Amino acid sequence: MRFLLVSCSLVAAYAQGIVTDGATRADWPHYGGTQLSWRYSALDQINTGNVKKLAPAWVFQTGDYTDALQSTPIVVSGVLYLSSPRSQVYALDAATGQLLWQFKYPLPPASAAAGILTRPQNRGVAVGDGYVFLGTYDNYVVAIDAKTGHEAWKVNIDDSKHCGCIISGAPLVVKDKVIVGGTGGDGAHRGYLTALNTRTGRLAWRFYTIPGPGEKGNETWKGDSWKYGGGATWMTGSFDPALNLVYWGTGNAASDFYPGDRVTGSGRDIDLYTASVVALDADTGKLKWHYQEIPNDLWDFDSAYECILLDREVKGQMRKLLVHMNKSGLMFVLDRVTGQFLGAYSTVEVQTWISGITETGELVGRREPKVGSSTNVCPSPAGAKSWNQMAYSPRTGMIYTPNMELCFDVTANRQEPREGSFYSGGSWALKLAPNRTTYSHIDGWDAVTGKRMWTYAYKYVLLASILTTAGDLVFTGDPEGNFFALDARNGNKLWTFQTGAGHRGSAVSYSVNGRQYIATPTGWGTITGPMTSALFPEGDTWRGGSALMVFALPEESK
Amino acid sequence: MNRFLACLAMAASLEAQPAADRLKQGEDVFNKTCATGYCHAPKGGPGGGAPRLAARGFDEAYINATTTRGLPGTPMPAFSTVLNRGELSAVIAYVASLNGIAAAAGPAFGGAPGGGRGGPPQAMLPPEAIAGRELFTDSVRGFARCATCHEAGGVGISVASPISTIPADAAALRALATPHVQTVTVEGDSMPALMLSQGKQRTVFYDLTTVPPVRRTSEAAGIKVVDGSGWKHSAVIASYSDTELNSILQFLKAVVK
Repeated sequence: MRFLLVSCSLVAAYAQGIVTDGATRADWPHYGGTQLSWRYSALDQINTGNVKKLAPAWVFQTGDYTDALQSTPIVVSGVLYLSSPRSQVYALDAATGQLLWQFKYPLPPASAAAGILTRPQNRGVAVGDGYVFLGTYDNYVVAIDAKTGHEAWKVNIDDSKHCGCIISGAPLVVKDKVIVGGTGGDGAHRGYLTALNTRTGRLAWRFYTIPGPGEKGNETWKGDSWKYGGGATWMTGSFDPALNLVYWGTGNAASDFYPGDRVTGSGRDIDLYTASVVALDADTGKLKWHYQEIPNDLWDFDSAYECILLDREVKGQMRKLLVHMNKSGLMFVLDRVTGQFLGAYSTVEVQTWISGITETGELVGRREPKVGSSTNVCPSPAGAKSWNQMAYSPRTGMIYTPNMELCFDVTANRQEPREGSFYSGGSWALKLAPNRTTYSHIDGWDAVTGKRMWTYAYKYVLLASILTTAGDLVFTGDPEGNFFALDARNGNKLWTFQTGAGHRGSAVSYSVNGRQYIATPTGWGTITGPMTSALFPEGDTWRGGSALMVFALPEESK
Repeated sequence: MNRFLACLAMAASLEAQPAADRLKQGEDVFNKTCATGYCHAPKGGPGGGAPRLAARGFDEAYINATTTRGLPGTPMPAFSTVLNRGELSAVIAYVASLNGIAAAAGPAFGGAPGGGRGGPPQAMLPPEAIAGRELFTDSVRGFARCATCHEAGGVGISVASPISTIPADAAALRALATPHVQTVTVEGDSMPALMLSQGKQRTVFYDLTTVPPVRRTSEAAGIKVVDGSGWKHSAVIASYSDTELNSILQFLKAVVK
């Protein structure tokens, strides 16, 4: 059954000409493609007419098989930079896959049981000013010389033993700064963003997602709860050069499911600035605006995800927009100049956590976890969409999302905070949504109105990012190992290839000497991967691994 | 008489706890510590990020060892540094019960709190040292805390050499001389620096211009190093009061061998 939200019928016009260009071309220079995070390549050599001929060009095995290969490869001037879970970095010839250099970050001791909060994971590097920037499993930011692979500088931004946090997200290079977020939002920890000078590594600014005493917003926290309130910044933000604003999503408040020790009021703006999108001045890190998507997020719906920046006409007026989704499956459309709420639509089919959202963005009919008894809620902390990224095509005007139809049984528990320790304030177990035969889907949505233009259903879960291209193709992979292409206009499946391991990473496209490539990480894993595998009898056949597979059209047919 | 009986009951409760109470306490600990979804699921069932625990045929020795010491190479941590002894024995009994092992009435350890993450358990530190440890690692100060540059008692980042001598009081700590901090000039940029190594190919040092310090590896030619600098320890510890610094010194006295 599909729950329609009370939302916000935005009359949006499209094809007015692209004002802001978020497309990549030969290079894939940033985590989200460009700093606007479209995950859209303007390359069209590979297209709906010839994608059937797509074939492997080369494969790179990282050798780091401890967890899924989640990295988004970065490609600059024919060199591809890839990172693996234990903070290893590889520079490869993007045309041949030949290893140019490897940065061997010290591995965690084999005897170390990291605990869930500091489990090594890595989603990619950033490249700029001649350096490759790496955030590590023990909270260092490292600048590596992009030509030699030698370390240029290294700085610790927090003691992972004490904070229970690491850097798993890819850094974002903004002008002369590199900005990194961190994990820790389900622990007793106070989230922040850290900006370092790209050349020297010196601190440029730090923005705490939770204001301290005397700062505006601190009054939205009870007592000392602001010290341990979560608001982690564990994914990668976006940047609008024209507005000089950095946009970042912030995670849920901690403790996640029990609010009694942190909430002071009701209505809007509870436990600021968690569960929000924040806009910061790129030079100073000062807050320009915030929009809290889920006041008092009680479901671990974690608004830390990507911000897609696009310009579209809304109600007859050209607007600079920011489109953002959290784990609830609600897609928020905001004015990125002011943070004004313009509308929201839900991308899941089974939704019980709210009954709807008003035209002013107020959530109604909240189904909240209780102390002492279990509540079933859909979707789940595994996410309607997990951290894997959505994509936007300016050719179709659509946003492409991977969505899961999962629920959870949750019981809230009061917990004492202990800095750096787990602080979720509840116990829960993941469940399949009832009465279904398919548990995930890829959808094409009109980015602004939220009209679903097509859907592609899949029987298990989808946990890989989406790539879309000017060849009107949508690429992603499934846990069974299939990497496949859909027609971006209607969702028809056009091509598939069995890569030998499940997909939990982010594909990219680039070109070298006029030849277009599609590169995808392979290897099942992470926390959410095995959690969802366990829901299906076949799940134990979904394979880990750590290889980058790169495809191109055969030389004679391109 | 009544008072006598009450005393007897109290004494008994320190030594033994009924099996049902232990299991209830164990389930409570399990729900708050283990069944957090991202790790195990409630009742050790499916649907968590970590493996199912119920009906796995585990014996008590395995459950005890894994819970206490963790499973190296996996995210399963050693809970001996997180839970107190009473909580540990209760949660072990609970997981054993999920595997068909009946819980016996056992010792109900009163137990002091565990030590948190890393380092010796706080319970082993005198109270004034515990306060000092909190100040040493105080996150509220951001980078303006001791742990940004010093590791002691298993916490902090070892930028500076291990602390070997402890200043007598706050005034001595503020006045600490740092003759080993030099001035390095790289490509026209001069900075206070802690030298790590200086070779023909490269020079490695900490740039102390800002906190946190930045470990720089320079392959540039013509690096200039001169003794002395304008860097002052008093400036980086300015956020602490004398009372706080004295408390930190108590912590250092307890952990520095």
